[in-house]
Amino acid sequence: MGAAPQASPDQRVAEFRKTFSRAEQEVGRVIVGHQDVIRKLLTALFSGGHILIEGVPGLGKTLMCKAAADTLGLSFKRIQFTPDLMPSDIIGTQVLTESDGRREFQFKPGPIFAHVVLGDEINRATPKTQSAVLEAMEEHQVTVFGLTYRLEPPYMVLATQNPIELEGTYPLPEAQMDRFLFKVVMGSPKPDELREILSRTTGTRAHQIEAIFKPATAAQEIETLKSLVREVMVAEPLERYIIAMIGACTPGGPGAIPEVSQYLRFGPSPRGAQAIILSAKVNALLAGRVSVSYEDIDDAVVPCLRHRLLRNFQAEAENVTTESILEQVQKRLKRPRA
Amino acid sequence: MPNPVEILGRARNRIAQVAAIRAGAYAIAPALVALGLALALSPIGRATWMRWGYMLAPERAAILRDALYAIAAGAVAAGAILALRAYRNALDFVAAAEQVDIAMRARQEILTFAALADPELDEDAKTARSPLFALLWRRAIGLLEHFDSAKAFPLSLGRPLARSSMLAGVVAVAMILAAMGLVRPPTREQAIAARLREIAREIEATSTDPTDRAIAAEASAAADALENPKIPPQQKIKKLDDAMHDLQQEKKGAGGANKGVGAGGGNQAAKGQGKGSGQGGGNQGKGNGSGGSDKSNQAGSGAGKNQQGNNGSGGKNGKQSKDPATDLQNQLADAKAQIESDAKNSPKPDTNKISDDNQPGNAPRTGGNPDKKGAATKPDSTRPGNVPKGDAAGKQNVPPTGSSQASAKDMGSNLGDTHLGETPPAANYQRYLKPGEKGAALDIHDARYVMFRLPNGAIVGAGGKNVIDSSHPTATTAYVNAPLKESTDQAAPDERQLVPPRYRDLIH
Repeated sequence: MGAAPQASPDQRVAEFRKTFSRAEQEVGRVIVGHQDVIRKLLTALFSGGHILIEGVPGLGKTLMCKAAADTLGLSFKRIQFTPDLMPSDIIGTQVLTESDGRREFQFKPGPIFAHVVLGDEINRATPKTQSAVLEAMEEHQVTVFGLTYRLEPPYMVLATQNPIELEGTYPLPEAQMDRFLFKVVMGSPKPDELREILSRTTGTRAHQIEAIFKPATAAQEIETLKSLVREVMVAEPLERYIIAMIGACTPGGPGAIPEVSQYLRFGPSPRGAQAIILSAKVNALLAGRVSVSYEDIDDAVVPCLRHRLLRNFQAEAENVTTESILEQVQKRLKRPRA
Repeated sequence: MPNPVEILGRARNRIAQVAAIRAGAYAIAPALVALGLALALSPIGRATWMRWGYMLAPERAAILRDALYAIAAGAVAAGAILALRAYRNALDFVAAAEQVDIAMRARQEILTFAALADPELDEDAKTARSPLFALLWRRAIGLLEHFDSAKAFPLSLGRPLARSSMLAGVVAVAMILAAMGLVRPPTREQAIAARLREIAREIEATSTDPTDRAIAAEASAAADALENPKIPPQQKIKKLDDAMHDLQQEKKGAGGANKGVGAGGGNQAAKGQGKGSGQGGGNQGKGNGSGGSDKSNQAGSGAGKNQQGNNGSGGKNGKQSKDPATDLQNQLADAKAQIESDAKNSPKPDTNKISDDNQPGNAPRTGGNPDKKGAATKPDSTRPGNVPKGDAAGKQNVPPTGSSQASAKDMGSNLGDTHLGETPPAANYQRYLKPGEKGAALDIHDARYVMFRLPNGAIVGAGGKNVIDSSHPTATTAYVNAPLKESTDQAAPDERQLVPPRYRDLIH
C-alpha cells in the first residue's frame, strides 16, 4: 500500500487520511485514551517535527512512542537520560577496531541513529548532553571527530520530561525547547480509561500491533505522505493571521496584548509560525481539505507555542500559565467577519 | 461547467455595488434634510418665528439658506466620495472571495482558491501553484455552483439609513440653533416690509393681470427700499408714493369700492384722512383712517385706512380687509407714516457743527476790528476756582474697608515704615519647626517681613473637652482644647509685619 507519486490529488489525500486514521487506531489499541496526544504525535511525525511530552511517570509515554514507531514500521531507539549520560553515549563514538591485521578507528553509531528516538526524561541529563541532540534535531545529522553522518529520514525525536521532580534536573534551554514542534501535556486517565488499562495490562490478553508499512518501504512511504503535507495551500490572509498571532505573543511586538507585555519575557521565534502552519496543514488534510482554515490554525496554536513563550518572574509568582496567555491572544485577534 | 473565477468576479462586483450604495446612503438623509430646509425656510419661518413675533432678516435668511445648500451639496459630495471609495475597496478579488467564503461557510477554501486564482497574479505565481490546486479548483466549483451573489449579499439599507437619519437630525438641530441665533424682533420698518412682500406674493399668486403684477412688483420694490438703510427717507417716501399712486390708478380703473387717500401740504401739520365703505355681511359699514401727520417743512400726505364694517357696527370695530389691494394700501400708508415719523425724530445734520472728528475744524476768523481786544487768556481772579467736590468720585483713592475678605484681613500698612513701596507678593514660605520636630534650619536672611498665620477654627468633630480655667481669676468662659485646623502655606496670612531695615542685617 502507499501513495504512488503519479496518483491523483484526491487519491493522495485519501491515502493520507487512511494511513493516519489507521495509525491512530493501532496506537489506540495499545494506549488507552490520550487520543489528542496520539494525534499530536502522529501530526509531528508527518510534519517532520519533534515532540516533547510532559507527564507524570506511568502514563504510558514510552509505550506510546514505541507503539507509534512500530505501527509505521520505523526503527525505534530509546535513550534514558541520566545525569552521567555523555554526548558520545547518544551520538556514538570512534572505536578502535582491528581487521586484516590493521587497526583503525571505526564509527560506532549511538542510539540517536534511528527513525524514532525516544529521549526519556530528557531534563535529567546535563545541558552538555542535552545539546548533543540539538544538531540531530535541527539538521538531521551528527558530527563526530569532524565527520558528519546523516540521519536517515524520517527522523523524529520524542522527548519526555517529568514535571514533578525538580531536584537533580536540568530544565531544557530555550534553544532546545524551540526545536520541538509540539509540547504535549499528558493528563491522568479517566476512571473508565484506567479500568481499561488495568484490564489490558494485568490479564493474559496482549495486543499485538499490526504495522501499516513494511520496514523496508516505511521510510519512503512516510516521506511521500510528508511531501503531501507540504503541498497543502495556505491563503495569504491566513498567513497574516499567524503573523499577527506571533506579533501579539511577543512583548513589545506589533499588536502585543497587555497580558503578554505584563507576563512574558520573550515571545515565540519564527519556528513557532512554521510549526503552526505545518500542523495546521496536517489538520486540514485530516479534515479532507487541501487548504488551511482558521480552525486548523487555532487548533495548533497552543501545542505549538506554549513552550516557546518565556514567562517572567511575575507570571511565575502569580501562576499565570502560557496556555492562559495564548487563550487571551486568540480571543483578542480579529478574524474577518461577514 | 461554471467557472469559479467568473462567479467570484460577479460576486465581487455585487459586493462593490452594495458597498457603494450603502456608503452613499449615509449622505442621503442629511442632503435631503438640508435641501428641504433650505427650500422651505420661508414657510418654516412663517410657521414658527414669525408667528412668535421674530423675524429673520433677508440677508441672514440668505446666509442660512446658502449654508443649508452648502451642507446639502457637501453631503452629496461626501456620499459620492464614500461610495467611490467603498466601491474601489470592495473590488479586491481576494477580499470579495473572503466574504463569499464566510457567507458559504467554506472554511477558507474559496478564500485560498481566490488567493491562488486571482486574475491579477503574475505568471510566476501561477506556475508555482501547489499540485493540489486542481483539487481545490474542483472543490471551488462544487461550492460555487449554485451560488447566487444577489441572494448572498442583499442590499439592506436599514443600518446606513438609520445612521444617516442621525446625521440628518444633527443637520436639523444645527439649522434650528442657527435660526435661533439669527432671528431678531423686527423693527417696524422690517415688519411693514415683510407684510408688503407677503401682500405682493399674495397678489402675484392670485392674479394674472399684468397690472396687478406690476403693483406687486412695485410693492416688493417698496419693501426692499424700506429695509435698505442706504436709501434716504425722501426716496423711500417717493417709492411708497409711487406704489400708492399706481395702486390708486388701478383701483380707480377697476371701480373698486374701497378708497380713501388724504393729503396735506404746506408748512403746517398736515393730516390726511380717508374714508372707505364696504359691504360686510349685507350691512353697510364705514371705516375711518388717518394718515400720518407731518410737521416738517416737507409736504405731508396721509392715506386713510379702509376698514370693512363688521355687521354694520362701524369702523372702529371693523376687521381688517381681506382684499390684498386694500391691505397693501394700508401697509403702504403705515410705511410712509413710519418713515415720516422717523425722519422727524432723527436729529437733523447741523452743517455748522463738525460731526466727524476726522474732519478739520474751522479756523478762527481774523477779527475785523484791530483795536478790539481778544478773548481773555489770563485767569480771572474774581471768579472762584474749581474746588474738588466731595462726591462719589472723591472716594476713589480711599482704601476699601472690608469690601473683600482678603483686604478685610489685611491689618498691615501697604507702605509700612520702610517707605519702600508695596509689599511684594509672598514667596519662599518657611515654617517654624514644632517642638521635637527635626528639619532644615530657618533661613530668613534678608527677610522683608514676617507673617503670622493663626488657625481659623477647630476641626469639626475632632473631639476635645471643655476646660474651665479656674486658676485665672478673670477667665469666665470655657474653652475647648480641640485640635485646630491645619493652615496651608498657600493661605493668605492673617497678619504680617514688615521687618524694619535697621534689623535686616542682623537676621541670619
